[in-house]
Amino acid sequence: MRALSSLPVRKFFCLICVGMIIAIQFTPCSLYSEETKLSSQEQFFLQKIRPLLEHKCLGCHGKTPDDIKGEYIMLNREALIKGGESGAPAIVVGKPEQSPFWNAVTWKDETIQMPPQERNRLNAAEIADLKQWIADGAVWSDQKLIPQNSQAGSSAEIVMSTSGGQSPTWTSRTYQPEDIWAYQPIQRPAVPWEALEGKHSGERHPIDAFIQQKLNQKQLVSSKPADRKSLIRRATYDLTGLPPTVKQVDEFQNADTKTAWPQLIKRLLQTPQYGEQMAQTWIDVVRYADTSGFANDYERPNAWRYRDYLVRSFNADKPYDRFIIEQLAGDELDSEDPEMLIATGFLRSGPWEHTGMSVAAVTRQLFLDDITQSVGVSFLAHSFRCARCHDHKFDPVPTRDYYRIQAVFAPVQFADRKVPYQPYENIAGFAEMKVRTEKLIQETREEQQRFKEKTDAAIAAWLKKEGYKNLKQVDADKRPPLRWFGLTELEKSLLKINNKRIDYFERELKRYEPYAFSVYNGPPNHYQSTKAINLIPDLKKQEGELEQTFILAGGAVTAPTEKVTPGVLSAVAGSNDLEEPNAWNTIPSAQEGRRLALARWIASSNNTLTARVIVNRIWQMHFGTGLVATPNNFGQKGAKPSHPELLDWLATWFMDHGWSIKQLHQLIMTSDTYQQSSHPVNPEQVQTLDPKNQLLSHFPTRRMTAEQLRDSLLLITNELNPERGGPGVFPEINWEVALQPRHIMGSVAPAYQPMPRPAQRNRRTLYAFRYRTLSDPLLEVFNRPGSESSCERRDETTVTPQAFALFNGQFTHDRAIALAHKIRQETNSKPAAIEQIFQTVVLRSPEPAELAVTLKHVTEMQDYHRAHPPQKVSLPREVKREMIEELTGESFAWTEKLDLADGYIQDLKPWDVDAETRALAELCLVLMNSNEFVYLR
Amino acid sequence: MHRLQRRDFLYGMSASLGTVALNALLQAEEKSAPKTPNPVLEKPLAPRDPHFKPRAKACIFLFMEGGPSHIDTFDPKPALEKLHLKEFVREDKQVSAMASGKRYYIKSPFQHRQAGESGISLCEHFSHLSEVADELCIYHGLQAESINHPTACYHMNTGNRFGGDPAVGSWMTYGLGTENQNLPAFIVLPEVAYPQGGSANWSNGFLPAYFQGTALRSHGSPILDLNPPAHVTRETQRKNLDLLAKLNQADMQRHPHEELLAARMESYELAFRMQAQVPDIINLDKETRQTQEMYGLGQPETDSFGRRCLLARKLVEEGVRFVQIYAAGWDSHDYLERSHKARMQAVDKPVAALLKDLKARGLLDETLVVWTGEFGRSPDNGIRSGRQAAGRDHNAKGMALWMAGGGVKAGHRIGATDEIGDHAVEVVNPIQNLHVTLEHIMGLDDNQLTYFHEGRFKVLSQTGGAVIKELLG
Repeated sequence: MRALSSLPVRKFFCLICVGMIIAIQFTPCSLYSEETKLSSQEQFFLQKIRPLLEHKCLGCHGKTPDDIKGEYIMLNREALIKGGESGAPAIVVGKPEQSPFWNAVTWKDETIQMPPQERNRLNAAEIADLKQWIADGAVWSDQKLIPQNSQAGSSAEIVMSTSGGQSPTWTSRTYQPEDIWAYQPIQRPAVPWEALEGKHSGERHPIDAFIQQKLNQKQLVSSKPADRKSLIRRATYDLTGLPPTVKQVDEFQNADTKTAWPQLIKRLLQTPQYGEQMAQTWIDVVRYADTSGFANDYERPNAWRYRDYLVRSFNADKPYDRFIIEQLAGDELDSEDPEMLIATGFLRSGPWEHTGMSVAAVTRQLFLDDITQSVGVSFLAHSFRCARCHDHKFDPVPTRDYYRIQAVFAPVQFADRKVPYQPYENIAGFAEMKVRTEKLIQETREEQQRFKEKTDAAIAAWLKKEGYKNLKQVDADKRPPLRWFGLTELEKSLLKINNKRIDYFERELKRYEPYAFSVYNGPPNHYQSTKAINLIPDLKKQEGELEQTFILAGGAVTAPTEKVTPGVLSAVAGSNDLEEPNAWNTIPSAQEGRRLALARWIASSNNTLTARVIVNRIWQMHFGTGLVATPNNFGQKGAKPSHPELLDWLATWFMDHGWSIKQLHQLIMTSDTYQQSSHPVNPEQVQTLDPKNQLLSHFPTRRMTAEQLRDSLLLITNELNPERGGPGVFPEINWEVALQPRHIMGSVAPAYQPMPRPAQRNRRTLYAFRYRTLSDPLLEVFNRPGSESSCERRDETTVTPQAFALFNGQFTHDRAIALAHKIRQETNSKPAAIEQIFQTVVLRSPEPAELAVTLKHVTEMQDYHRAHPPQKVSLPREVKREMIEELTGESFAWTEKLDLADGYIQDLKPWDVDAETRALAELCLVLMNSNEFVYLR
Repeated sequence: MHRLQRRDFLYGMSASLGTVALNALLQAEEKSAPKTPNPVLEKPLAPRDPHFKPRAKACIFLFMEGGPSHIDTFDPKPALEKLHLKEFVREDKQVSAMASGKRYYIKSPFQHRQAGESGISLCEHFSHLSEVADELCIYHGLQAESINHPTACYHMNTGNRFGGDPAVGSWMTYGLGTENQNLPAFIVLPEVAYPQGGSANWSNGFLPAYFQGTALRSHGSPILDLNPPAHVTRETQRKNLDLLAKLNQADMQRHPHEELLAARMESYELAFRMQAQVPDIINLDKETRQTQEMYGLGQPETDSFGRRCLLARKLVEEGVRFVQIYAAGWDSHDYLERSHKARMQAVDKPVAALLKDLKARGLLDETLVVWTGEFGRSPDNGIRSGRQAAGRDHNAKGMALWMAGGGVKAGHRIGATDEIGDHAVEVVNPIQNLHVTLEHIMGLDDNQLTYFHEGRFKVLSQTGGAVIKELLG
């Protein structure tokens, strides 16, 4: 038996009252209470006390009479005063201090503390209100409170039709129209052509009309057209994430002005790198990674197939509505189509793990919460998380909708589904990689076998010594501890570490088997991320009931309340299926088809959010900030649209053009607004009137993203391997971080080893294996977001670790040598080399003064390097590991062999090249660090 | 004009304080495009007034990773003596697989002794800590939620079990800035192996990057890429920097309206200075032999943690706001006696030295020291491999932590777990209340220390919480 709690009373209340918050209906006496005059005490009750009772008490004390906690009913004044099972009155009217009710909410009396959960406890202001209310006579009113006319703009306040909150007060609350714009139908505004007066009609662009209209209102003027070099650089980065080549710049500068620009955009949209750039953007939103995160951070074999699906989808200009449906419900749409099964990787892209220490119901809920949130932010720009525990404080999102949307995913079960590799999938590296993994497993197993033999021998010796023939003869309680018997402390530790290594490598081995990281519908299947592969169970094992969905009080799995059926976000215009059910807004309750129905509700021109959300994301790609500055939040606390009419016009145009993202780029980029210079015509005026440049009087300068920085450096040195797709590759990262032990469950992870050949590792960053708990520090310092939560917009902080990474880091130093070496081969004089270095890095010739100073610099550096040949630095062949062993509490060390060190081909190093090359590399390094290189204008 | 102010901040502060070093994290710079009109972000690391009079100005947070057993350290349970090896039956439905199978009560293998005038009882292996027992405020009422290491670590460090939110140290420096612009405001001294969940344990989360914890690594380069590759000398690097400055200057003249350019140029100069001075700051050789001995430097079992405790004292003395030190290896599922004894001995002497040293320097009053794990351990065990291997499993509902300095109720035990140490029963509080209490001690009000993110004003406590008043002196 469990020991008794020393505070039984409190425990009793905790058990019976686990955060139940249930909707109850007050019966209004008068439907038209504005006709009735309310006393100030009644007003006080209705404004302060009734909502408090609804939120904090009535969940347990306001249900049907046979389910009332502590026999205490709080539905009317008489019952509230009368009290519960103790028989004593709960409220002594006029005397709060003598009222047990008030004492309970203050938590001063250890025997009765209400509400019983810490997180529900009343705050000081609420307690003070109750005190005043009791002191003032505990006046009650069943009137319906009508918003006061004194509130600003009350005449325009709107009650939203939703599936209903947990209290009538919430359900009937009102909203300011400007706060609920996103739930109103998308308009088709007329283009304000008059704002472009003076322009020939053939040269007018609708986007410019909307932008100019706002600028005119502030008497701001647009900037001049950007120079051609800036334009091609801007466009190439926007659409491919890479710089243009010198040749491409030259060609564009010399081409016909009128046609060259649209042709350039078209060409860029057709490059395969376009899909890579777009996939990267989408990954920020959906948090794709190759590992599961948490304690083990295990590899997710074949998760990469979803990443490559994204690249393919964007390159094919898959209509966005279709793209949504495939990711949410590809398997329901066509489970025979490999691409559809791969697409559902979206559903599992968040961090998730279930270990022997996890509670199954909790980890299941973790997934359900994650996918609900992910669908909300990704497609609907709504952070639903707030509604997990309560009706949304600001937005018309009832907690019921949260669980209705969650119910859509209740049949979803994880599975690695057999999906043959398709001809367009890159599995070229498999053979070589697989051999290595198998070798590592074999070596580790052999070592384990030696430990096992030692243990067996020790047990045999013990049996012999004790005079037994075998273990069966020994009573269970007399047996020695069989695990690790006869091993030294170090051997025990190594045995554990090896077990983990085998776990890791076995997952790696599954990389080479044709599974898709996918889902199916069915009853709960007890999926475990501790197993490398989980197939769809046999039909027999799939029997059982579908998981039911309940509103969870306070979001806790231990506190289910009302059962819900699948539904949509009811506040969206026309979506309240409880009032006006139709084929579009209704989700079936059958096992199959829930997600497809939700996906079709989202991917619909009727949905007031979807098209606006994606159009806004694309706008942000081009201008740094969206028309709504918070692309994941279109709710009341998100930013308001800077150009609401333009947003709607673009959304409508986008849907009219078949949800084509490529056409949308073309539209945006052919506007003058996009093609203008980053120099404001009148900087001081802009600083005063529009300091954040929301009105786009000039093109916003931005820094390259972390991935663009890395990819650009590899591209300009000619080292980038443009190979597309395939399982994650392992580039060189800071060696100290690579070899830094990572503590995982009971062990440390195997060392990070970059791939041995430059072509294998110098791929686009998109294809680098993405761990959740190990980040390439170069990318991290340049604001690559973590993979825990959705990133709506990259930060652009300037911090000193960036200077360390870019100016001191091995990566940039290697690129500088590579570029210097390449250019030295291509040129025959220092000035020519310097000219070409400038051209390659910053796409222009040096000014005469710059040439002079850099020439002097390179010459001096050459003298220095002649006198100081660099020492060759060899790569480590093994790494000393150190950690504290849980079994002993002591630190221990061992050596891990770096198997890839044999045959590792380093990138070009200073000791491989001559002094002049090293001198030129100094200039390359400087330019690679320059503001001109890292900023896009 | 605006830009001048920034320069003033960056260089002026550094100059007036004399020693430069790691510059305030490397990060006393400017954010490029402030998205919110948050006044803090104008000068992110400048010292700021707390919301009310603080009890402490700095915090040293000793994180015992793995989950130290409260029963075997600070919370003796004599009742387990009688129950030892009797079968333990749990009634909860929501338990993990870890708690399944036949389970048995396990008594503590250690003796406990009363110490100090307050008579607080401590495990026999805390002999040095016993000498400062009267400084400790031991707390038994805290409850975690997760029994998985990374989620529990994230919860203790950030308030969010799933990571991605700012760490306590990030919130503190966001609220208070830092006293020394030449040092990072929030420094982490990890073990060689990073804890489960990795550097997300000291992440700035949604707060700007200025408030990220800076790990000073004990092996290799203390800060990543602090130094250039081996063949680069300071002389050539200076020349390269000068050339970079010239090119950037020319670029800035071509783009005079772009304010972010100057900040980026300045960050390179700061980096260059730090390169020279960081090694000096973290050098412990200048400490007296006696001090080094006191912290256990040079003794194998205490050297690693002792060095970091001593460094923490130095850093706090220099005005660093928040220092977190990790001591791993407390996850004793087996061999509790041996492993917990070793872990206690590894931290006992250094921690006692830290408290004594802070006190001797008059710093203890204004420095809060916190010692805690991510959860406690169970009174029972599955005894997986024979009786001599007995250990304890994870326990979120019962644990022990202590605080010292910073105006806490020294020399007291607050709260209690039940008679077998299974769960807290007195002064029970969730982690969010501990966070609110830590903020309170530092003069910060959780309700006021907010950052607007994802459509709401986020706070460290996630959803609000209350100060644990019992812990305050």
